[in-house]
Amino acid sequence: MESFILWIMAILLAPFFSGVILKVKAFFGGKKGPPVLINYYTLIKLFQKGSVYSTSTTVVFKLGPVVSLCAAVIALMFLPIAGRQPLLSFNGDVIFVLYLLGLGRFFTIAAAMDTASPFEGMGAAREAYFPIICEATMFMILVLFVKLTGSLSLSAYFAGSSPMEIWHAAGPQMVFVIIALFIVLLTENARVPVDDPATHLELTMIHEVMVLDHSGPDFALIELGAFYKLFFYATMVAGLVFPFDLGSPIAGFGLFWLSLLIIYKVVGVTESVMARYRMDLVPKFILTSFALAFFAAIITLEFIQ
Amino acid sequence: MDLFFLSLVIIILGGALPLSIGRRFAAMKTAAVAGIGAGCLLGCIDSGFKLSQTARFSASFDYLKTFSLLFQMDSLSAFFLVIIFAISFVATVYSYHYMNSPGKSFRTSVNYFFFSLLIVSMALVVTAGNMIAFMLSWEIMSLSSFFLVIYNYQTAENRRAGYLYLVFSHIGAMSILTAFGILYGYTGSFGFAGAGSITDTGKILIFIFAFIGFGSKAGVFPFHVWLPHAHPAAPSHISAVMSGVMIKVGVYGILRIYSILHFHTPLFGEMVLIAGMVSGILGVVYALGQSDLKRLLAYSSVENIGIILIGIGIGMIGVSSNQPVMAVLGFAGGLLHVMNHSLFKSLLFLGAGIVLQKTGTRSIEALGGLFKNMKISGATFLIGSLAICGLPPFNGFVGEFLIYLGGFKGVSLEKTSFALSLLGIVSLAVIGGLSLACFSRVVGIVFQGEPRSPAAVGRDEKGPTMLISMLVPAAFCILIGVFPQVFIRSAVKAVSSLELGYGRIPLEPFMEMTGNITRAAMLFLAVLFLVLALRTFLYRNKPVSRSGTWGCGFTQPTVKMQYTGSSYAASILDFFRPVAPRLEDHPLIRGRFPQKTHYRSSIHDIAELHMGNLIIRPILFLFERLHWIQHGDIHLYIGYILLAIIVLLFFV
Repeated sequence: MESFILWIMAILLAPFFSGVILKVKAFFGGKKGPPVLINYYTLIKLFQKGSVYSTSTTVVFKLGPVVSLCAAVIALMFLPIAGRQPLLSFNGDVIFVLYLLGLGRFFTIAAAMDTASPFEGMGAAREAYFPIICEATMFMILVLFVKLTGSLSLSAYFAGSSPMEIWHAAGPQMVFVIIALFIVLLTENARVPVDDPATHLELTMIHEVMVLDHSGPDFALIELGAFYKLFFYATMVAGLVFPFDLGSPIAGFGLFWLSLLIIYKVVGVTESVMARYRMDLVPKFILTSFALAFFAAIITLEFIQ
Repeated sequence: MDLFFLSLVIIILGGALPLSIGRRFAAMKTAAVAGIGAGCLLGCIDSGFKLSQTARFSASFDYLKTFSLLFQMDSLSAFFLVIIFAISFVATVYSYHYMNSPGKSFRTSVNYFFFSLLIVSMALVVTAGNMIAFMLSWEIMSLSSFFLVIYNYQTAENRRAGYLYLVFSHIGAMSILTAFGILYGYTGSFGFAGAGSITDTGKILIFIFAFIGFGSKAGVFPFHVWLPHAHPAAPSHISAVMSGVMIKVGVYGILRIYSILHFHTPLFGEMVLIAGMVSGILGVVYALGQSDLKRLLAYSSVENIGIILIGIGIGMIGVSSNQPVMAVLGFAGGLLHVMNHSLFKSLLFLGAGIVLQKTGTRSIEALGGLFKNMKISGATFLIGSLAICGLPPFNGFVGEFLIYLGGFKGVSLEKTSFALSLLGIVSLAVIGGLSLACFSRVVGIVFQGEPRSPAAVGRDEKGPTMLISMLVPAAFCILIGVFPQVFIRSAVKAVSSLELGYGRIPLEPFMEMTGNITRAAMLFLAVLFLVLALRTFLYRNKPVSRSGTWGCGFTQPTVKMQYTGSSYAASILDFFRPVAPRLEDHPLIRGRFPQKTHYRSSIHDIAELHMGNLIIRPILFLFERLHWIQHGDIHLYIGYILLAIIVLLFFV
C-alpha cells in the first residue's frame, strides 16, 4: 500500500520537479522564470487540444508517445522510492526495465522516422547513437552492484539500508558511479550538455526535434513520459548521494523529497553553467561515464575478494 | 525413428516430383509445396513429441557394406529438428507465391529439389551418430545449399557469391574432417563414444579445428565472409532457411563436439565467448553500414550467432568453474536464442523478400513509405525488428535475459572468469543498443516516411501464402515473449543432453524466471492498454486534421530531403572507423558552373578486406611455386600415382 502511494506520488509530482529545473535556469539567467507549476498548466492545455497529423505518418506515429509513456510508468513501478520497497520486484528486473526503456526509445525513433522530416531523422539518428554508450555504462554499474550485493534487482540497491551498505563496501568507487550515473541522466533525458531543449534551432536538438510533429494530447503523453524518465534516473542518483537510513519513515520521506529536489537543482545548475557540446564531442563526454564505471568495477575486483 | 524417416522420405518425394512435371508451373509448385510442407509438418510434430520425452532414439544402416551409418536422436537433436522443420515449413508455404516466374519453371523445380535435399540433410546432420553419417549429410547440406545460392546464375555477382560459398564450405568441411581425423587417430573408431577418454592435447586440437569448421558454417567472425554474399544471392525463402536454420547447424556442431569431448577446460569457454563478442559487435556494426536489405540481414545473422556464442561461452565458463546455475542459464539462453533467431530472422528475410518482389530493389535508399500500402508486411517486419533488438515483450528478450542472468552469475567469480563475464555482459548491452539503431534504421527507412524512388510508390502486398507465412513466425515472436515457459523448458531439456554431469536439471528455478517474464510482459500489455484507453478518451470530440510534415518554415520539401540510411548510420560508424573503414567516392566540385556530381560510400568488412592480402596472396604464391608439378603429361601423372603407392607400401 505504501509503495502504491509512493508510486502515485511519483506519478503526480514528477512534472513539478521538472519545473524546478526551469526555475533554477531562470535564476541563473537573472529572470523571474515561469511558475513552478508550469508543467501542469502545459499538460492541461495540451490535453484540451486536438491534433494535426502529418500526411506522411502511419499508426506507428500515434503509438510512439503511448509506448514511451508506458515504458517510463512501468520503470517507476520497479523503482524503490524514498528507500521503500517498490511496487514490483523480481530477480533481473533491472534488465527488464532498461530494455523496456529501450522499447520506448525504439518507438520514439520510429515515430520520428514516420514523418519523413529530415530534421526528425537527424534527431532519431542521434537518439539511436548516444544511448548505446549509456547502456554500456548502466550495465557496467550493474556488474559492480551485483558484485557488491549479489542480487540483480533495483530494490536490492536502493531500498532500505542497501545504499548505505553499498557505500560501506565500496565508498570511493561510489563517487565514480554517481558521476557516471549523473552523466547517463543528462544524456538519457536530453539535458545540456548533450542536448538543449531550449534552443530555437532544430538542427542542434535531439529529443525535442524528434517530437516536432506531435501535438495536443499525444505531445502531452510524450512530455509525461519524459518527466517520469527523468524522475527514474534522478531517484537513483538521489538514492546513492543520500544513502542515509534515518530510521523513522517520516524523516526518511522528508530526506528523500529534499534530496530529489537537490538533484533536480543540480541538473538545473549544470544546464545553466555549461554550454552544449558540439555533436561530435558528445560521445566522448558519455564515454567518460563508461570509463568511470569501468574503473569502479575494476577497482572493486581488487578490494573485494 | 520411423516417423522421422517417413517425414524425410515425404520431403524428398515432394522435392523430386516437381522434376517430372517441370513444365506445368502451377501444378509443379503445388506438388512441391504440398509434399515438402507435409513432410516438414510431420517431422516438426514428431520431433516436438520426442523433445517432450527423455528417451534416446537410434537407427543404423549399412553403407557400401563397409561403413555403418548411425542416426541418433536425443533432446538436443530434437530441439534443433523442431526448428529445422518448423522454419522450413514456413519457408515452403511462402515460396508458393514467391516463386512467380512461370518462364523459369524448370529452374524452379530444380530449386525445390535442392531445397528438399537441404532440409533432409540438415535433419540428418543433427541426428548423425557417427563421423561417416555426419560428414555425408554435412556435404549434402553444403552442396545442396550451393545450388540454391546460384538460382539466379545469370548475374556474375551471384556466381561469385556461390563460388565464395563453395570455397568456404569446403575449407570448413576440411577443418571438421581434420578434427574427426584426429579423433579417429585416437579412438580408432568412427563413433563419437570414445572421445571422452583421449588426451587433453588431442581434445584441445579437436575442439579448435571443429570450432573453425563449424564456425565457418555458422558465420563466426572472421569466417563469415561468404555469408553476406551468399544469403542475398539466394531466393528470399532460401535465405530465410539458410540464415534462420542452416547456420545454426554450425552451432549444433560446436555444442555436440563440446558434449562428446567432455573436457571442461576454461579455455573452450573463453574462446567461444571472445569469438561471440567479436562476431556480435562487428556483425551489427557492418549490418548498420549496409544499404542492401538482404546483406544487412545477413550481417545481422553474424551478430546473432555472436549472441548465441556469448550464451554458450558463459555456459562453458560456468561448467569449468563449477557454477551449475550459470552453466545451465548460459546454454539454455544460447539455445533459446537459436530458436528465437530462427523465428525472427526468417520472418525478416521473408519480409525482405516481399519488398524485393514488389519493388524490384534491395537497396534501402530507394525505398520508403511502404507501410502505408503493405500493412501486414510492415507490421510483421516491425515485430521481427523489435524481437531481434531483444526488446520486451518479444521473444528476443527472453533468450538474452537468460544469458544476462547467467553472465551476472559469473560476476561473483574470480579474475579471468569475472573479467570475461563482465565483457560478455557489456558487449551484450552494446550489441543490444547497436541492433536497436540498426533495425530502427531499417524500419524507418524502408517502411516509414515517403517513397525515395518511383520503385517504392504505390506497392501492394498480394500473395496470401506469403502473408500467412509471415504472420505465423510473428505470432510466435509474441507468444514466446509473453509465455516462454514451454520453450525455456525444452531449451533446458536440450541442455540436459549435453551431459554436463548435472544429472537431471531441476526446472523450478527456471519456471520462476518464466513466471516473472510472463508477469512483466502482461504488466506491459496491461499498461499499454490503459494508456491507449486514456489516449482514446483524451481524443474524444477533439478536432483532428491532417497536413504536411512541419518543415521548420521551409515550404517546398521534397522526398529527397529525407534522412537516408547512410546518413542515419554515419556517426555511429565513425565511432567504429578502425574496424569498419568507409570508402567514399566523391569528386570535388570545380569551377563556377560545376558538372553533375555524385557521392558514393560503402562500409568495408575488415575480414574481407584483409582476406586477399593476408591469406589468398600467400597461398597463390605458394601454389605458383609448385606449378612445375602440374606438367600436363598423362604419363607423368600415372608415374605420380605409382610413386605414391610405392611410398605408401613402405610406410604403412
